Amino acid sequence: METILTAKITGFVAILRENGFAVGIDEAGDTMRVAEQLGVLKPKLLRDGWRGLLCARVDEWHRFDDLFDSYWQKPNRQKLVETRTGGAGQIERDTANEAAGGKAGPVLQTGMDEAGASGDDRATKEGASAAPSMETADFSSLTQPEQTRAIEAVIRRFARRLQRLKTRRETADKVGRRLDLRRTLRRSVGAGGAPARLSYIAPRRVRPRLVLLLDVSRSMSLYSFFYLRVARALAAELSDIHVFLYHTHLTPISEALTDPDPWRAQERLAILSAGWAGGTRIGDCIAAFNRQHAGRLVHGRTAVIIVSDGYDTGEAGMLEREMTSLARRAKRLIWLNPLKAQPGYAPTARGMAEALPHLDLFAAGHDLASLDTTFSAIMDVL
Amino acid sequence: MDQRNATAGLQTQLAQAGYVAERNLTVTMLLMESISRPLLIEGDPGTGKTEVAKALAKVRNTKLIRLQCYEGLDTYNALYEWNYQRQLLAIKRAESSGAAALDDNELFSAKYLLKRPLLEALTQPISPVLLIDEIDRADAAFEAFLLELLSDYQVSIPEMGTITAQTIPFVVLTSNGTRDLSDALRRRCLYHFLDYPSFEKELAIVQTRLPSLSRKLAGQIVEFAQSLRRFDLKKKPGIAETLDWAAALLGMGISTLDDAGAEQIVDSLATLLKTREDVLAMDHTTISRLVAAAG
Repeated sequence: METILTAKITGFVAILRENGFAVGIDEAGDTMRVAEQLGVLKPKLLRDGWRGLLCARVDEWHRFDDLFDSYWQKPNRQKLVETRTGGAGQIERDTANEAAGGKAGPVLQTGMDEAGASGDDRATKEGASAAPSMETADFSSLTQPEQTRAIEAVIRRFARRLQRLKTRRETADKVGRRLDLRRTLRRSVGAGGAPARLSYIAPRRVRPRLVLLLDVSRSMSLYSFFYLRVARALAAELSDIHVFLYHTHLTPISEALTDPDPWRAQERLAILSAGWAGGTRIGDCIAAFNRQHAGRLVHGRTAVIIVSDGYDTGEAGMLEREMTSLARRAKRLIWLNPLKAQPGYAPTARGMAEALPHLDLFAAGHDLASLDTTFSAIMDVL
Repeated sequence: MDQRNATAGLQTQLAQAGYVAERNLTVTMLLMESISRPLLIEGDPGTGKTEVAKALAKVRNTKLIRLQCYEGLDTYNALYEWNYQRQLLAIKRAESSGAAALDDNELFSAKYLLKRPLLEALTQPISPVLLIDEIDRADAAFEAFLLELLSDYQVSIPEMGTITAQTIPFVVLTSNGTRDLSDALRRRCLYHFLDYPSFEKELAIVQTRLPSLSRKLAGQIVEFAQSLRRFDLKKKPGIAETLDWAAALLGMGISTLDDAGAEQIVDSLATLLKTREDVLAMDHTTISRLVAAAG
């Protein structure tokens, strides 16, 4: 009996891992202890206990109940259990639309990975597209070798320069050049007043954070892949970078992009890219970014880089408003517009005209050469 | 059965301490003790994260030690520092009195040690509640240091040797999500996400905190705050704001919202709306509509 139970619990932990939960061996051991303490026959109590133990972030917290129920409850009893809000009602399980069995259902049943599920389960949680596109992009050129290598070289140069960025504030440094008098004196106390050990200071390094918002609407289709390759190279080189795609809605892709396996990255992106090359609603997407992500991602050292041609089908004035609030949060706001490279280009598209007053840098960056100069310019404004 | 009793018991105790806790939070708090792991609480500002630690300290009848994190927080401010002034004085004293030699061990003894919150928490005879507030504001280096401390509950001071915790403190970490925390820290901790409260929970909180408020006004206030959160506001009002507003209305001598009129309500809204855009978005007609809906 005991061993059956242990196997069952281990199976549950395995299911959680398959669904992207980071459950270590320690936690797996503690699940047993918690089960012993709370009693395996009281599912509600056990679910509360395990949720606290096994979840580590908000999205896991919200998916846990469905996973728990579909593993432990008999199918016809799944609806009976209270929701996590402690008696605020039952799990709203729309049987007609989501016959797959709740938010986490498809994951369990087909054994797909996390990104696989998010495709058909609206994990992007954005509204419907105004001009949805049924086509899914072909990401096979994401790892095209020649261009990728060239981009990587440019990006590496940029990343190295980014790492050398310093402020005027100073911090203790073993190989610094200036003597830290205050600290040296303080350390001399231990030696009876003789400054035996010297301390040095050097300018403090700053690590700017980059947020990339890539427009992948139809008008941008010529350039989308190029920028995506740039984003992938950046994500490989820098740790503090966050990438989003947008067309009629916004999709975070950092995680898929940094997947070490290029083929799997392609697959995950293909699933995330539903609506690729459709219409554009820049205003709505920036608004969505401001509401859902900006508070968490954009701080005083963040440079937000928006890539778009500025053709916006959204409501007039919206982009202007959202750019104002984004500009206030971010340290720098940078707009890359591939059309800017064309001779005689003037930013007359309504979206572009609305955004322009808020930008710290407006550049093209549509090919390798201009990317290089653009990154130099970015370094200057950072 | 005893486990369920224990949960209910803690829930009642928390309620007596002025904190309305849901069952899942109570279970997690019990687990904190039995498997001795820290508790990481995430949620929007004003959802009562810090209050959890305060209530826990009250219920366990123990000391609350608070470490407020900020960017650039280092071990000197978090763990310990030597009291240099006293050490200097001691050296001078020794010099002037002509003592043969000053004992090093004497100079680096507990007498000259300034305990900062973390060390303070490790050296308590009864398990204290250690609140590490807004851990996301501290930098990654400090987080790594904390990780080590939270797994071993011991620190080494080079001059004195290793100090091991006398009792394992109840550690509560809170985060607003300004920075994503490392997976390692998340894995070490129990996790709880505090959402904005439901109507019933918020009403219970308001009535616990302000017992002099009439049931009708309390209901209206909570309904108003709840509907305000459904608006697309820059800064959604948290529970703390609701309580402030209720206190303000109580101070203004208002008995029900419909009697008060939009004018007076707008005057008191400074407690709920905290940015200029939000104040502008809430004009008189919107407020009258909300009041009517809350009635």
